[in-house]
Amino acid sequence: MVMDARRDQLERLLAYLMSLAAILLTLFPIVWLLSVALKTQRDAFAMPPKLIFEPIADHFLGLLDRPGFVEAFMNSVYVTVCGVIIAIVIAVFASYGIHRFRFRGKKLFGIWLLLAYMLPEFLFIIPMYVLYQRIGWYDTHIGLALVYQVHSLPFAVWLIRSFFKEVPAELDDAARIDGCGHLKTLRHVYIPLAAPGISATAILTAIWIWNELTIALSLTFSDAQTITVAVASFRGYTSINWGQMAAASIVAIVPMLVFAVFAQKYIVKGLTLGSLKG
Amino acid sequence: MPSALSRRAAYYLIAPAVLILAITSLYPAVFSFALSFFNWNWGVQFDFIGIRNYLDLFRSAEFWQVLYQTFLFAVVATTLELVLGIGLAVVVDRLKFGASIIRTLLLTPLMVSGIIVALMSKIVLDPMLGIVNYVLTSLGFPPSPFFGTTATAMGTVIMVDAWWQTAFVFIIVLAGLQSLPREPIEAARVDGASSLQTFFRVKLPMLRPVLFTILIFRTIDTLKVFDIIFGTTGGGPQIATEVMQTLAYRKAFSFLQMSEAMTVMVVFSVIVLAISLVYMRLEERLED
Repeated sequence: MVMDARRDQLERLLAYLMSLAAILLTLFPIVWLLSVALKTQRDAFAMPPKLIFEPIADHFLGLLDRPGFVEAFMNSVYVTVCGVIIAIVIAVFASYGIHRFRFRGKKLFGIWLLLAYMLPEFLFIIPMYVLYQRIGWYDTHIGLALVYQVHSLPFAVWLIRSFFKEVPAELDDAARIDGCGHLKTLRHVYIPLAAPGISATAILTAIWIWNELTIALSLTFSDAQTITVAVASFRGYTSINWGQMAAASIVAIVPMLVFAVFAQKYIVKGLTLGSLKG
Repeated sequence: MPSALSRRAAYYLIAPAVLILAITSLYPAVFSFALSFFNWNWGVQFDFIGIRNYLDLFRSAEFWQVLYQTFLFAVVATTLELVLGIGLAVVVDRLKFGASIIRTLLLTPLMVSGIIVALMSKIVLDPMLGIVNYVLTSLGFPPSPFFGTTATAMGTVIMVDAWWQTAFVFIIVLAGLQSLPREPIEAARVDGASSLQTFFRVKLPMLRPVLFTILIFRTIDTLKVFDIIFGTTGGGPQIATEVMQTLAYRKAFSFLQMSEAMTVMVVFSVIVLAISLVYMRLEERLED
């Protein structure tokens, strides 16, 4: 028993050391990125690296003058809000339909959702690009938010449905006996009880849309250009403007990190529920 | 409740979702499939050429190389992320104090956009000015060209993806471990099993359904990789890190070879969807 206790302690110490190493490895690139954003070009390129330096705000301030950057940030806010609202509203109804009813084509609908989610982006991007060029939806917020649904809608239906499954059947029956129709049951029973789950879904959808590049890169140009596309425009070998590239990246990361801190419980819940319960 | 009425209610409820998915996934799939039989390059030329795009594609060495690289990336990255993620989850599961803050910190990569991960890795891994090569040479190791040579570029983008997505495996496996029933684990301990034995003989088998779901998601996601490669190597040097999605992007938006790009995507989608369906079948069988 004494040996066991000592072995246990040793294992735990090892676990702490390994966690520490993992945290360092995880956070180091982000901290380094932040330091580059706050360094002058000379300090950023200095060898050996300057660990102590005088931080400057020039790169962040410079972003304000960079054409389209502030607009891109606002576009991302707008597209994210639109995309999340469309996905959640439509998914709540669809999830209730799948959860509450048996109907022909239900299984097919489920498979369609999954396959749509799995589709490689360029299969639908190229035809949507062609369509949008024709009908004038190319480079618009709504056009982008709509295409995001290929991914967000199946994700939201899948998650919200598993949260609806947790609602006790007796409450549903009770509402029915009280004479509630389907819409009333949905509004007064399912939505309030699954509210934390729906929030988790909304948060994860928002993170996904905010961070998405592939679709935004192909379907926007300037008017609806998102933050990730604006950040991507720093890539390329000809101009190494590390400072501003790093500053732009930090600006794009911060809203999501704030999210992560305040909504961590929801994020973990949403991420894990889908795969633990199916 | 009359079933005809309730069935109609169900259709009303799912109608908006069906409509949106029809426009954004069904129409594009049909359109891509149809256009892959033409020779349309975004110009006036628009002739039906049968399966010539497919024949040309299957005859080009480039296609097979890119397909191979796509799978290489997916298999190695998924394996790496599963191993690291499971290992990390086991470690954090052992912690008593501070587990929640440690979990939060380890989750950060999932909050970061792939394009930012890509640009960040270009700064950190720059062959001349990057901090990683500085540390390597200070410790007496030779510097690495990372994204710069055909020999090292693929390994580097895989490493970057692992930095980004290991957290996804970690967080789900950790939640899985914490939701396992206590009794079988206690019983194994009482029988004198070491923690390693308990993990491989008791915990891992109980986690099998969770691990399977993670495997599906990581496999499909890594097959579809785009932003990590677009932001770092752009598919280069030469085409050493080109994958199916960057190939389609280049064909469609750099060269306006619309029909060819759609042919690539039709072939690739068939592969991806076939893998998804096989996995789904296997999962159903596992559950039985």
